[in-house]
Amino acid sequence: MSAERRPSRAWIQYVAVVRKEVLQTLRDRRVMFMLIFAPFLQTLVLGFAVDFDVDRVPTLVADQDRSQESRTHLRRVLADGTLLRVGEASSAEQGAAALDEGAAAAVLVIPPRFGADVAAGRPAQVQVILDGTDPNRSNVAAGAVSRYFGEDALRRADERARAAGVAPPARIEVVPRLFYNPGLKSSPYIVPGIAAMLLVVVTTLVTAMGLAREREQGTLEQVAVTPVPASVLLAAKMTPFVFIGFFDVLLLVTVGTWVFGVPLAGNLAVLALATLLYLLSTLGVGLLISTISANQQQAFLGGFLFTLPAMLLSGIMTPVDSMPRWMQVLTYANPLRYFQEIARSNLLKGGGFADLWPQLLALTFFGTVIFGLATARFHKRTG
Amino acid sequence: MTLARTPAGRFVARVGAIAWKEILHIRRDPRTLLLALAMPVVMLLLFGYGVSFDVDRIPLAVSDQDRTAASRRLAQAFTENHEFEPVGGAEADAADTIFRRHRAQAVLVIPQGFEKDLARGGPARAQLLLDAADPVTASQVLAKADAIALSESRRVATGPGISATPPLQVKVSSRYNPEARSAVFIVPGLAAYLMAISAVLLTALTVAGEWERGSMEQLFASPVSRLEIVLGKLFPYLIVGLIQLLLVLGVGTNVFDVPILGSPILVILAGTLFLAGMLGQGLLISVLAKNQLVATQAGSLSSLLPSLLLSGMLVPIDNMPAVLRLISRVVPARYMVDALRQILLKGNGFAQVWPDLLAMLIFAVVIVGLATVRFKRRIA
Repeated sequence: MSAERRPSRAWIQYVAVVRKEVLQTLRDRRVMFMLIFAPFLQTLVLGFAVDFDVDRVPTLVADQDRSQESRTHLRRVLADGTLLRVGEASSAEQGAAALDEGAAAAVLVIPPRFGADVAAGRPAQVQVILDGTDPNRSNVAAGAVSRYFGEDALRRADERARAAGVAPPARIEVVPRLFYNPGLKSSPYIVPGIAAMLLVVVTTLVTAMGLAREREQGTLEQVAVTPVPASVLLAAKMTPFVFIGFFDVLLLVTVGTWVFGVPLAGNLAVLALATLLYLLSTLGVGLLISTISANQQQAFLGGFLFTLPAMLLSGIMTPVDSMPRWMQVLTYANPLRYFQEIARSNLLKGGGFADLWPQLLALTFFGTVIFGLATARFHKRTG
Repeated sequence: MTLARTPAGRFVARVGAIAWKEILHIRRDPRTLLLALAMPVVMLLLFGYGVSFDVDRIPLAVSDQDRTAASRRLAQAFTENHEFEPVGGAEADAADTIFRRHRAQAVLVIPQGFEKDLARGGPARAQLLLDAADPVTASQVLAKADAIALSESRRVATGPGISATPPLQVKVSSRYNPEARSAVFIVPGLAAYLMAISAVLLTALTVAGEWERGSMEQLFASPVSRLEIVLGKLFPYLIVGLIQLLLVLGVGTNVFDVPILGSPILVILAGTLFLAGMLGQGLLISVLAKNQLVATQAGSLSSLLPSLLLSGMLVPIDNMPAVLRLISRVVPARYMVDALRQILLKGNGFAQVWPDLLAMLIFAVVIVGLATVRFKRRIA
């Protein structure tokens, strides 16, 4: 038999260490449970819980006019569902007290003689008192009321013009056409973002702590004295995580399509390549952290110190565009940002290689640099 | 008879001894302590500056097929207040590619004949193609576009007999956070979240570490009772947690101008009750998990995720499906977030906050009790 038919020594060593790693992981059922069940549960909870739609804001109504006109306005302003009438208040002061107690989040005050003033063309003022704790909610609630009365004023101007016998004033309309997510649902957008988050939690933290633990127990040194070179050892240690990472992404995409209506608009090969490149970064960071931590607790805290800001500065939960400039600059150094952009563009908008190559290139760059750095440090520590 | 001879005195002495041992442990590892104290401050700064949903300077591409004064005026109305940022012209049918490549969030298409329609008095229509993948940003864009269309309509509608129409005004007054700043909303929630992280995970990790190394068995060989061990172990971490709370509030008030309208003592009381529950949860996890890796994952699953998502800190609970709303009732962070917002932002006192405090107290008693009971089973 010729020598080249036989697998090389490095390959045999690689397979042996992978086998050991897989056996070790499988032996601890709870670890497996955490790697596979936890992402599943997190996807479900996040997908269902994260809903930034503002509707049914509990609202008290103080109708001090009690006319036909005021009742009609109140019915119409509440009709779009943003505000939900939960009770009455006699005055603005009483309504404000209810806000203090948390009984409502908005008070709508229609002043006395409102109907008569509007009919006679005298100026009239509607008052909205809001619990402004949540800026998003109070903005939307205020917007709903302002829009209704603004449109009502235009309609009234039309009527007045018609009654005066002149042509109604011209109007400008901006008709929106919504791409990709016409129902404005939160979950199809959030679920692909979760992929970026889960992978970093599962791979970075588990790698960092797993290696720190081996160092604590001294098993890393034991393996280091075997003839297996450090690079083969490292490659073999990372292999199971690459599979777990892919499995988690697959799980997420499946749950995303079946449960949350993620459209899967693009070529999944793009997502697969992006996942591989992204795992290079996340595993590399985990490895790097393990080489600078003395024990598991430090590894965990270090992992946390990386993952939490990385998630925040990625645009997964809040848009990058809403951050201050200096923070937006930081996001360019964050692999999570590129991966979430690829996942969302690919799954929701059908983005392909032609659209997403800059992000893929960035992931390649960060993956290579981080993993290279981590490997170099790992070699130094294990000797 | 000195105090130390009474049963109560002995109890205190033993709890104190265990607590002192734990403090020595913490002191021996200053890196962990530093991380535990620095982390909340760093997170608070990042979250305080970074978490906001308000988008301005939305990148907008314009496809002006009319090329008249009126169409240019409309395009200008979109960009003059810096709500939209012009990123250049576009062909209307290229919108898909533009969105996929993140070049623009929206494309304003002004069709040919826009000015003519306006002059005729009929409705002049423009179209806004919108990348709605992100629903929060998309709905803000919709609201802004609506407002611009309305004000432009009002501007062109100044004909005879119309300009005299008195406008119907809507006066909006916003309480507790009148400038609608995200930091005011986020900081109380973040305080609870950060405390939950360090309390649950630090205890879970420390105690799981003791199981791994076998030093817990040695402790059980001493004449100290289970409850004394539990309380002694938790006490130092309670102090660490309270220091974190003060740090977070200090940074919150000084950097982000978050008000403290209510009683600081009430804040400390709420913090203590909340921490007791979180520490107990960490202990319970460590008793069940046996090793640090599993303890971390179980800790993040059972406390980090619910504290972040089901507490109302970031995502309003009202919008959630009924099952999650129900689950959120057993998440202590929910009560802590509510209590902190009430005390700090509204200046509410004990009379309004007591239901939150009671809920946290019940959680703490149940969870510490459970942890103590499970402790015994592990040894037997």
